[in-house]
Amino acid sequence: MSTPKKILVYVDGTEQSITAAQYAICMASYFRADLIALYVINTKAMEDLLKARIFLQDEQLEYEHDMEADAQRYLNYVNELAIKKGVSVIRRSRRGSVHKEIVNLVDEENVDLLVIGELARIRSRYDETERAMRMVSCSVLIAKDEERVWQMYESLV
Amino acid sequence: MSLIDLVQEKIVRIPLVSTDKPDVLRELVQILKDAGEIEDYDAVLRAICEREEKLSTGLENGIAVPHGKTEAVSTLKLALGIAPQGIDFGSIDRQPSKLFFMLVAPPNQSGPHVEALAEIVKLVQSKAFCRAVASAKDAHEVVELIKGE
Repeated sequence: MSTPKKILVYVDGTEQSITAAQYAICMASYFRADLIALYVINTKAMEDLLKARIFLQDEQLEYEHDMEADAQRYLNYVNELAIKKGVSVIRRSRRGSVHKEIVNLVDEENVDLLVIGELARIRSRYDETERAMRMVSCSVLIAKDEERVWQMYESLV
Repeated sequence: MSLIDLVQEKIVRIPLVSTDKPDVLRELVQILKDAGEIEDYDAVLRAICEREEKLSTGLENGIAVPHGKTEAVSTLKLALGIAPQGIDFGSIDRQPSKLFFMLVAPPNQSGPHVEALAEIVKLVQSKAFCRAVASAKDAHEVVELIKGE
């Protein structure tokens, strides 16, 4: 049986995405797979908000700056989680539409497993992670049950 | 986190009792307080008012999306208020606002904050949806309408 060689985890700073990162670290360790962590600075949504006049120009810049800082913070956090378990992570930060950037990176890096956090309980056609899940060319694993995943991560030697 | 996950009956108030903009903002923050979603009422209200002072978040077609960032919340919070009679919110088209989606986020959750705001923009593009929500009888009906979109 072929095992995943390259795993991508999408991190957006939510607790669900951190759980996904813990799961992805476990899988990368078990399968000795490469692990990529991705954060997308959602410039597409910010442009939409500017057009809709919900955002002011300076507000857009402020949020963009905040998201750049978030990208570094969360990718570094995932890196710290991985280092503790002897796993190395390739950190990627991109700008654009979330689902498109996930789909593109999967194709560019020939990723064979995407790991994402738990989705909304009801299908949402506007949820970016859900859109990515439906559109990527590889298999997708949805990490659920924060406590169980944490225990799995903690028990990893 | 999807907007749908934030929508629950306890954060919906219909009808709003306020009749002017400052009172609407206070009432929306009070919804979160009453629902046990926030502790520091003043900090949340300050964040919302600071943004509102720069330019009204009253959009066209009776929609308003007051929002702000504050460390007084640890995760994204949504309050939804409906004023069937309409309230002068200083909106772009000078028409009274009827649907109020208020979002508050911590400064380190800008990604989910932006995505939730973008989801609201997409939701309210449907005039039929807005009409249905504005004429909903109770919070349960509003939640069902949003989750059905």
